[in-house]
Amino acid sequence: MLEVDRIKAGYGGRTVLDGISFSVSDGSITAVLGANGAGKTTLIRLLNRSLDPFDGQVVLDGRPLEELSRRQIARSIAVVAQENETSFPVSVLEFVLAGRFAHGSTFGWESERDLAAARTAIQMCELEGMGQRLMNELSGGERQRVLLARALATEAGTLLLDEPTANLDLSHQAMMFRLVRERTKGCGGSAVVITHDLNLASEFADQILLLKQGKIAACGPPQEVLTTELIAELFQVEVLLDKNPRTGNVRITTVY
Amino acid sequence: MKNSFRTAVFILLTALLSACGGGIAPAPESGTRTVTDGIGRKIELPAEVTRTVSLAPNITEIVFAVGAGGKLVGVTTFCNYPKEAKQISKVGDTLKPNIETIVALRPQVVFVSTASQLEAFTGLLERQGIAVFVTSPDSLEGVFESMVSMGEVLGKAGEARRVVNELRTRVEKVREEVSRTEHEVEQTVFAQIDPSLYTVGKGSFITDLVEIAGGRSVTADIETAYPKVSKETARAFNPRIIILSDSPDNREPNEVFSESEAVREGRIVRIDADVLSRPGPRIVEALELIFKGIHGREAK
Amino acid sequence: MTLDLSKPAGLGKALRYGAGFAALLAVSLAVGTSLGAETLSIFSLSETGSAILFDIRLPRVLLGACVGASLAVAGAGLQALLRNPLAEPYLLGVSNGAALGTMVAIILFGTFEFARPVLAFAGAALATFAVYRIAQSKAGMNAERLILSGVIITTLLSSVIILLTSLLDATRLRSFTFWLLGDLSQATMTGFWVCLVTAVIGTFILSTRARALNLLMVGERDALDFGVEVERTRLAVFAASAGLVGVAVSASGSVGFVGLIVPHLIRLFTGSDNRFVIPFSALFGASFVVLADTFARTLIAPRELPVGAITALIGCPLFIWLLRKN
Repeated sequence: MLEVDRIKAGYGGRTVLDGISFSVSDGSITAVLGANGAGKTTLIRLLNRSLDPFDGQVVLDGRPLEELSRRQIARSIAVVAQENETSFPVSVLEFVLAGRFAHGSTFGWESERDLAAARTAIQMCELEGMGQRLMNELSGGERQRVLLARALATEAGTLLLDEPTANLDLSHQAMMFRLVRERTKGCGGSAVVITHDLNLASEFADQILLLKQGKIAACGPPQEVLTTELIAELFQVEVLLDKNPRTGNVRITTVY
Repeated sequence: MKNSFRTAVFILLTALLSACGGGIAPAPESGTRTVTDGIGRKIELPAEVTRTVSLAPNITEIVFAVGAGGKLVGVTTFCNYPKEAKQISKVGDTLKPNIETIVALRPQVVFVSTASQLEAFTGLLERQGIAVFVTSPDSLEGVFESMVSMGEVLGKAGEARRVVNELRTRVEKVREEVSRTEHEVEQTVFAQIDPSLYTVGKGSFITDLVEIAGGRSVTADIETAYPKVSKETARAFNPRIIILSDSPDNREPNEVFSESEAVREGRIVRIDADVLSRPGPRIVEALELIFKGIHGREAK
Repeated sequence: MTLDLSKPAGLGKALRYGAGFAALLAVSLAVGTSLGAETLSIFSLSETGSAILFDIRLPRVLLGACVGASLAVAGAGLQALLRNPLAEPYLLGVSNGAALGTMVAIILFGTFEFARPVLAFAGAALATFAVYRIAQSKAGMNAERLILSGVIITTLLSSVIILLTSLLDATRLRSFTFWLLGDLSQATMTGFWVCLVTAVIGTFILSTRARALNLLMVGERDALDFGVEVERTRLAVFAASAGLVGVAVSASGSVGFVGLIVPHLIRLFTGSDNRFVIPFSALFGASFVVLADTFARTLIAPRELPVGAITALIGCPLFIWLLRKN
């Protein structure tokens, strides 16, 4: 269970997020939506303490993050972020295995356990047979899946994903969210996902957090939060809402 | 009459002075002695030196001049005078002599001008029982002192003094001639060491040679020994005589001098670069050539 | 490019490669001690021959090995930390910073030898810091800025070195070719021991950070997110690199391109896993400099080429090739 308590944070003198409070319970997925600059990435960084808040705290399973070491945090929280190009020859397997850092000793080789976790993660992300390929030979979408595999290999309970479907084709977008759901519903973990795709958020998220200029505009289940008024206020677009005939979830159609 | 008296006093003084310079004191143990080198370092040497290495061309010339050429077992690749020097084993160049080669030759003493890595270098050699004698003459007098002290180290003290006296006599002749000659105008001299206008300043012995020969170097007041002047400055000098340090790329005066009196009157003195710039026995030859360039005749 | 990644990193692979590189080092040392300006017959040494071998050639070869190891490991560490395969002590100005530090030590403290590696370390650290700060921008570290700031710092420091050697007492200070192109001919056993200890400690410190560097070389965010204490690791790597470069340069002047070539060649064999790259760079770097120096002092014997000229002749074309690949 991840709880965010009255967080105020930013960079330098600038406040980006002010007075944010919400919680993410085990077995649930929270989607974070908002216009660019609203503070979404800053929030993700706060959730694994890659950024320290000016005020307030983040509590993981009852313990404030400030009390935990980076290794402890990394064992419980894994991140799928935007990826940079590597100038060095790194294979897919090496890349994914590196995610097991927090489980190992300072100096030593990976254990059988580490290898098993990595192989499983590679399989789950449909990257089988690509273990020896070099990262900079892969397409953007393939690299994104490797990033997901690395996060899954950590076997951390909480996943933080920053626009994980940005480079993915349709089939892999669905795969991504399915995997996240398996990890949460199936294993009792939790996830926080930044996405621009309102429909994906509606289908997969248990809770949606709408951010506007550093403050929470709305927080709750999709059918409550996804209203034409709020969407118009946040994104300056007109949308039509109805129900997805198959799943019954809110379906958003943009009026162009 | 006056002249021979002066010469006699001169020779006497020379003899006295050479006895004081070098300072070889007999050592308490037999077989070794302590000498002072050109920069004041005290060195221990065997009573008799039979094998020596020279690490600079001017030093090689000095060793031969004092009659110890047969004791030279190693020289640098730049040591080309006298002819016999070319037959001796090479130990590298002046800046980077090869220590292995030097040690393999088993010299008792190595003569060095300024090694740019003096400290570590001398340490290494001294640990092998090889003495390092530093000598770096920067004037006519300095060359003579160096010849005498090196002669003493090499067991050729008498020969060294004799050669130095001969050289001094030649210098004296030039001085005499200069004191007897009157020029209407100052004989301004520009020494072109290099076509890009490297010349000589206060610290260089070439400046002194020019003065002894009765001229005045236009760059005598510049503080550094081998300064480089700009084309503008050079043009403004308008020297009466130009000395060229003769080497394949420095055969002609720089074009900035094309309007100068020296070029118009054809008063260009070419002196072999080795003779002009090595502080060794041939420095007197350079002096005589400069005298000839200024006065148009030889000193008799 | 085929890499031996059939199995991921493991002790077996480490031992196999380690044995290979250690054997190469042994051969290089043997070659270095048997070749030189003077031909020595190893099995029937005269007294002079013995003096040459043990007092002159052996310290030189051993120092060369330590200098090579130190510079290669520092290069590997800097490349991983700065996320750039073109980073290396010479190009970034770290070597020249160390050279300047040593020169200041000679000027201020004369013959007190231990001042030299200490001030060399300070000079190296300052240069590293300067490059790092100049190369940082809001968007993070960027390859062009890094190389550019490195070139600026190196050139600036080279000019200061040339200035100092021209103006001050050359007998104590040594020539600028010593500082800028390296020179192993002043090797002593003391110098060797100091460099050996530093090389071992530095390699150890960087090897323990190897797993962290594997993450850091992919991205700073990645490292933070997966549990690396980035600030502490960065400090340790910078300090170790500055120490390695400082001691090496104070003993032998700056031998360029070793930190560039060696880690890159290692990666061609083992991939980028720093648990291999760092220790093997030490072994291969040692061999590389020993062989380069042997070449430098035998090619036109009895004259000597500066060892840095040889490493540059090999390194520059390689650098151009790397630049084009990137």
